[in-house]
Amino acid sequence: MQRAIPFEIFRYAVILGIVAISLVPTLWMVSMAFKPIAEWSAAGADLTWWPRNPTLDNFRFIFGQSSTDLIVALERTAGRPILASLLTATFGTLIAMTAGTAAAYGLSRFGQGGNLPLALIQLRLFPPMAVMIPVMIMWSFLGLIDNWFGLSLIYGIVTLPFAFWLMKTFFDDMPREIEDAALVEGCTRWRVFVRVTLPMMRPALASSALFVFILNWSDYLIALLLTTRDWATIPVYMASLSSSMTGQLYGAKAALGVIAAVPPIIMGIAIQKHLVRGLTFGALKE
Amino acid sequence: MASIRFDNVSKSYGDVVAVDQVSFEVPDNAFFCFFGPPLSGKSTILKLILGLETPDSGEIFFDGQPMHDVSPPDRNVAMVFQNLALFPHMTALENVRFPLVERKIDAATITARVAEVTEKLHMAHILHKPPAQLSGGERQRVAIARALVRDPVAYLMDDPISALDARLREETRVELRRMQQDMAKTLIYVTHDQEEAMSVSDQMLILDAGRVRQIGAPHDLYDAPNSTYVASMLGAPAMNMAGTAEAAGALTHAPDLDRGAKTVGIRPEHLRVAQKAGPGRVTAIEPLGATTILSVEAAGVTWKAALRGQPKHDIGAAVELSVDAGGLHCFDALGNTLPAA
Repeated sequence: MQRAIPFEIFRYAVILGIVAISLVPTLWMVSMAFKPIAEWSAAGADLTWWPRNPTLDNFRFIFGQSSTDLIVALERTAGRPILASLLTATFGTLIAMTAGTAAAYGLSRFGQGGNLPLALIQLRLFPPMAVMIPVMIMWSFLGLIDNWFGLSLIYGIVTLPFAFWLMKTFFDDMPREIEDAALVEGCTRWRVFVRVTLPMMRPALASSALFVFILNWSDYLIALLLTTRDWATIPVYMASLSSSMTGQLYGAKAALGVIAAVPPIIMGIAIQKHLVRGLTFGALKE
Repeated sequence: MASIRFDNVSKSYGDVVAVDQVSFEVPDNAFFCFFGPPLSGKSTILKLILGLETPDSGEIFFDGQPMHDVSPPDRNVAMVFQNLALFPHMTALENVRFPLVERKIDAATITARVAEVTEKLHMAHILHKPPAQLSGGERQRVAIARALVRDPVAYLMDDPISALDARLREETRVELRRMQQDMAKTLIYVTHDQEEAMSVSDQMLILDAGRVRQIGAPHDLYDAPNSTYVASMLGAPAMNMAGTAEAAGALTHAPDLDRGAKTVGIRPEHLRVAQKAGPGRVTAIEPLGATTILSVEAAGVTWKAALRGQPKHDIGAAVELSVDAGGLHCFDALGNTLPAA
């Protein structure tokens, strides 16, 4: 189809605009992460796109190595929050995916679970604060405050609806005949699930898990309320990166932001080949 | 090897009655064909045999044993699904091995069985590929091999070769028939292609909206259908159907017309066309090579006659129609066949 050239120009301009709006702040963050203090602070008057004197000082700083440019000394380094984020987001994802997949399969195949889908979506209808304050009180009674397990557990619960809904859609789309075939060919129900359903669902599991992981990874509110010091996650720690003398430590925040972007990107690349392929490609005759 | 018997089996999905008080017996080692239009209950009957569905009422027996409490894997029936239902995450070889591996057969036996079946189906060269990389015909062979690889009491096939092109379909159905006879196994076959059903089966069961209309050998059903429904399901072109009055007006020689029938039917090959002044007028000519289908309008009805070879006819020409002796099927007001005079 041949379109008018002015229309094409307009179309690409719009696309370019959207891409710029999405990417420029990210590029700015990456650039800032490699700038010395003079280039990112308010004191350094002229801001440039490209660092004039690229440095790893910001990274050294958040990992506690002395930095000549920065006068402040950090009370805590970024190592522990990175560990906390990795651990809680991973375990939270495991909990949500295990429970969500099991619930979705039961509901999709056997109609069991009654109002579970609605009950789960209701969790998301409340303002998060209305839910989180009672949770905070419960968690403190249970001794789960500032505890990696307590945070993982609430991550699992909060992202369970997403895991459930995503997996239910995938299970609903999977043709029954493939499971029927396995059943007829000698599998028990459990063997069908392990040998056929789960392997076939690998792309679905991977993409749902990535989505849930990113939700957990980017949480700020829950971690802020449920951790104090030992298990503060990256976003909570990032908020604390300021000093009374220089104000917000933008360079350090940017460096931490760059680090925080790495795990989801690695996961995304790892499962990319699953995402582009259909679930049951080749299983059925067209 | 088993006979399969349905005793008054019914199955509904909500308000929809899929199978309605169906009784029949598939004899041991028979090539048994279910035939009917879509949604007539064919696939539901297969699911009931497999144990994937439980009857609402009635009982299913394998060799006289009730199957109500027997799970699908324990029924030991092999199935080729209509949409093939291959396992997409396994190679063709793994698909074929699957039933044996799941039944904990020892490795040497598996290898031997798989080699035997894959050789018979000429598929050695595709075994390492996943289904996604196979053509439609190759996938079909994988699905058939997965069913043939083990030793079940019966094979079930739900329209297994519909994805193939016409020529390959004809070859495959002959091959299936031959294999079934070699193996001496019960084979239950579902199809919506009447020619396919008639050409391979020992016995056919004609379904209509979940009910059994007639069971019998293909030629018996063709020659002696018990109703207008069965009569019109078999044969292409379909049997000519007309009211008795119209038939009397159109046909010059029809000796059985006075038997009190409401409707009469004549197979196209039993209709004779004479090129002389009569009540008929030729409206269409379809030369098919071995036969020619002639459409003749007479007494307000379009009659189709199947003539041998390629006789010369002109559109619009007047013709006279008559029926071969014994070529007239008589039906009552309900569409049931009248007993022979």
